[in-house]
Amino acid sequence: MGELLTLFLSTVLINNIILSQFLGMCPFMGVSKNRSSALGMGFAVLFVIVGSSIITYFLYHGVLVTFGLEYLQLITFILVIACFVQFTELFLKKFSPSLYKSLGIFLPLITTNCAVLAVALENITKKYTIVETLVNSVGVSVGFMLVLYIFSTIRERLDMNTKTPKAFLGNPLALITAGLMALAFGGLAGLI
Amino acid sequence: MLSAILVTLVIGGALGLVLGVASKVFEVQVDARIEEVTGLLPGYNCGGCGYAGCSGMAEALVTGDVNATAPCKPCKKEQRDAIVAYLKETPGPNGETVTLRG
Repeated sequence: MGELLTLFLSTVLINNIILSQFLGMCPFMGVSKNRSSALGMGFAVLFVIVGSSIITYFLYHGVLVTFGLEYLQLITFILVIACFVQFTELFLKKFSPSLYKSLGIFLPLITTNCAVLAVALENITKKYTIVETLVNSVGVSVGFMLVLYIFSTIRERLDMNTKTPKAFLGNPLALITAGLMALAFGGLAGLI
Repeated sequence: MLSAILVTLVIGGALGLVLGVASKVFEVQVDARIEEVTGLLPGYNCGGCGYAGCSGMAEALVTGDVNATAPCKPCKKEQRDAIVAYLKETPGPNGETVTLRG
């Protein structure tokens, strides 16, 4: 139990997928302009990461290992992830058109969000059990959501600030903020 | 070799089936004109109009969010005329047509 808690905390805070591994930067910059779409993106990524991690775990250990086809993991994992993202898109289109609209092109782009593939591959290479896989994938997506949400609150306030020099307006200032956030999260490295 | 092909085939087929079922279950009734207008736009998905791709622009045109094809930069004269003519002639589900400025 203690080990699982350590795993969870370290994936959320210390090895944060965005700020210390620099994966999934595209939605981090793209969907962080307001809080509600940041949260929506966070939940969509949570759903995709957890779902695809579970399926890829059973796919790898159940099918690929049985047939001795471990080298096919990359292409089959991409298939599963693409399918999951499409599924999420269909689901959101039906049940939350406003969220579907606010996420726009970034929803189908979860397919190419390297964070999702990274988690699926990491679960295999680190030889996690199914419970550890679950904890790891939930931890990564919670970390993703947490950082995305914090970043969006900062950006909302930055947008209201009228003293920003013209050259730094918008994305330049957001990138600097992201860098400072990564430094601040670096300070959590000695937590565990 | 053969097993690799078979396994990939089966996985792909199964996932395709799931998506096929999902698209039927989660089907959303959309205005048929949106699809048509999307086809009439250049299809570059450049985002120059400010919407997420050509389908976003097509929806804005049909719902009356924009009343001219001008935001679409790569659109040619003939394409603009075709969109204006199509929307003028084809009534939507509520029986009304959309008149664009050009």
